Amino acid sequence: MSSTPVVSIAHLTKRYKGFAAIDDVSFTIAKGEIVGFVGLNGAGKSTTINTMLGFLHATDGSVTIFDQLVKPQTAHKTHQQIGFASGDMSLFNNLTGKQYFRFIAGRFGIRDNTRLKQLSDLFEPDVNKKIGDLSRGNKQKIALIAAFMASPELVILDEPSSGLDPLMQQNFVDLIREETTRGTTIFMSSHYLTEVIDVCSRVVLIRGGKIVKDIPASELVTDGGKMVRLVSQSVVIPPRTAELVEKKKTDDGYELTFVYKAKPAQLQQWLSGVAGLIDVSITDHDLKAAFDDLYELETGEHA
Amino acid sequence: MHNLFLKTLYDKRSFILGWVLGMAFIGYLMTIFFPAFHQDNGLDQLVKSLPPAFKGLVGNLDNLKEMSTYLGSQLFDVRMPIFLSVLTILLAVGLSVSEEDKGQLRTLIALPLSRTRILLTKWVVIVFICLFATLATIVGIEIGLLTIHETLDIMVLIRLGGMMLLLAVALATAIFGIGMATGKRGLTTAVGVLITVGSFLVTTFAPSVDWLKDYEKFSFLHYFPAPDIAKGTIDPVNVVVYGAITIIFLVIAVLFFRRRDVR
Repeated sequence: MSSTPVVSIAHLTKRYKGFAAIDDVSFTIAKGEIVGFVGLNGAGKSTTINTMLGFLHATDGSVTIFDQLVKPQTAHKTHQQIGFASGDMSLFNNLTGKQYFRFIAGRFGIRDNTRLKQLSDLFEPDVNKKIGDLSRGNKQKIALIAAFMASPELVILDEPSSGLDPLMQQNFVDLIREETTRGTTIFMSSHYLTEVIDVCSRVVLIRGGKIVKDIPASELVTDGGKMVRLVSQSVVIPPRTAELVEKKKTDDGYELTFVYKAKPAQLQQWLSGVAGLIDVSITDHDLKAAFDDLYELETGEHA
Repeated sequence: MHNLFLKTLYDKRSFILGWVLGMAFIGYLMTIFFPAFHQDNGLDQLVKSLPPAFKGLVGNLDNLKEMSTYLGSQLFDVRMPIFLSVLTILLAVGLSVSEEDKGQLRTLIALPLSRTRILLTKWVVIVFICLFATLATIVGIEIGLLTIHETLDIMVLIRLGGMMLLLAVALATAIFGIGMATGKRGLTTAVGVLITVGSFLVTTFAPSVDWLKDYEKFSFLHYFPAPDIAKGTIDPVNVVVYGAITIIFLVIAVLFFRRRDVR
């Protein structure tokens, strides 16, 4: 993977009447990276993407894509190399899928239909009906095919698989993996954490308009750690490195649960010193829970 | 379908078909009514009995004696601007703020198309649809003339049609320009309605209401004196006014739309 930055966002800020939808957002995306952009509703994901595409002008800071400074009046210069789809994308209801693809092909100067056929085989959209008569899932398939059919160097996706059924979500994940081998750079926001962890090489976390975490996706998985639950006859003091500690009295004794991310040998040593141990279970910390914990810890809001 | 112009025209095909048929029908209907207006002396008595302020709605009865001035005064001077206003408001709002509200404008902007090109292509579509409506009206009139076995110098229709097209394009451009420059549906529709209703009221009542005369030049319709155009006079000033309005609003639209946020 080359480290050439395809996207460079520096101190990007967008304010609406004093309210900062995004505030001092900075990150770069190298060529070939698959970056997941994660955050709750209203966190600033769509505002960031809309500014990257030139729908919005930045109040402060800059977006540079393919060495081109992106502004509303110049954004189109980068769009020849960018595919875009969003979960709520509005297509043209009076056109059929086939007519829409023809229009997109005309805009991108596509003469070879091979890629379109491959994508159509993967998603099997209904291309002969008017788009306005299609279900949300079918519209989403058409939007995704249109985003990838020009084989763009950069694909920007905003909640791309939100309308797809589980089978098509899997096909979408397969498509992203296939694009990785082609060297396509992908920036996608998503609510599906498993999808992000599955396909992304990096995760950027946004909250309240600010970037709170920018880590390799693998780190997010390992960050999950182990969930340790034990029941003992008397109160036990958890290890110093334990996180998210919860204690409660039960009928059998005292229950202690915590997340442990340090070396397993140290956990083994600590367990050997627990007096009056009744029961113990050690499981992988659930990915979603790990993510939620991470999210809350980063912003200092965990109880 | 490969380019934005054809796609937009295709997207609007039902709208175009409806208006083309409607305008042709209005042209046809008003033409075949000519014998009734022409022969009915009772109309003179009726108009004489109207209060002065309402006589402006009917116009000069002498205009009813010739086919050219009849069409100028009864079709192009009164009714056509009303229909054109509805057409232009629907068309201009539809291609500007409605598409933005639906999110379709973002879909276009995400493509390798500059904002200026998107705006100008939409404007050219507006011009074509106004042209189709004008031609349909003329075709309707011609069919009407054949039906009642009347003849009319084609130059009369070309003059009336030409100025009608300029009026429609200027009006549509003003509304479209506001829509593209601001992206605000309420403002765009309100200004469109204000311009058309205000123009209609001012032009209709100014001949009879003294204080309105000073404001007549602010009316869009003031520069479309259809009976005079039918008689053979096109004032170049009127052409310049419509041309200037079109260019000014188009430039304003381009300047603002290139830089503003699109929802």
